[in-house]
Amino acid sequence: MTDKIFFERLRSNPRPVVVDFWAPWCGPCQVIAPAVEKLSAEFAGRVDLWKVNADQQPELLRSLHIYGIPTLIAFHNGREVGRHTGAASALALSTLFKSALTGEKPERTGPELTDRFLRLGAGLALVSLAIIGGLSGTGLLVAGLGAVIMFMGIYDRCPVYRVVSERLKNLLRRAPTG
Amino acid sequence: MNLFVKFMASPAGRITRIVASIVLVALGLLVMHGIGGTIVAIIGLVPLLAGLFDFCVFAPLFGAPMSGPKIRAGK
Repeated sequence: MTDKIFFERLRSNPRPVVVDFWAPWCGPCQVIAPAVEKLSAEFAGRVDLWKVNADQQPELLRSLHIYGIPTLIAFHNGREVGRHTGAASALALSTLFKSALTGEKPERTGPELTDRFLRLGAGLALVSLAIIGGLSGTGLLVAGLGAVIMFMGIYDRCPVYRVVSERLKNLLRRAPTG
Repeated sequence: MNLFVKFMASPAGRITRIVASIVLVALGLLVMHGIGGTIVAIIGLVPLLAGLFDFCVFAPLFGAPMSGPKIRAGK
């Protein structure tokens, strides 16, 4: 599909569209896929979901200035009203579908700016205290926690959550039942 | 709803918890030493996380929900 055809189809589509740019090799794309499908069913008849394989449409990605996948773009009357790149929470994805439906920019779903500053400040304070106190034992634990809190102030996700939750799930699966 | 819980869930209460817990961690890491210091520092981390991520550990003791937004909404 050329860019021209894509935009023509977008303009002539009777309903708003959310376009999901994905690729078969992309892990985060697989992670959000069930939530996207669920939302597509929820908004059926009101918002259309188009899935575009990013590997097959490099020109389209360039013209839409997409530099990473998964990227979801909400279009209303052929006009982009919002986009999200990377793995997103169900709430953020739902906001994007609502935005396509109403034609309004998506509301912010992440933490408030104050919360981000609090996380950064507290994280920095913990790391500083740990360094002053000497990085050993509890100091190391406090420094690590401070670093994680600072990371969460910037990216609003826990860098260790996925690793820990996967291991916990595996452990629970292996645990004998009955 | 209990006034103490309401204050703790307010922005002022959250900042109070964060500052108090940083003081506790500082006390544990810099002033006290040994196992006592470690315990104080680790205890200090609990209200810090609760303040940062907007939940109140003791709220259920007063019959209130743990979530800060729910407490503020009076649910």
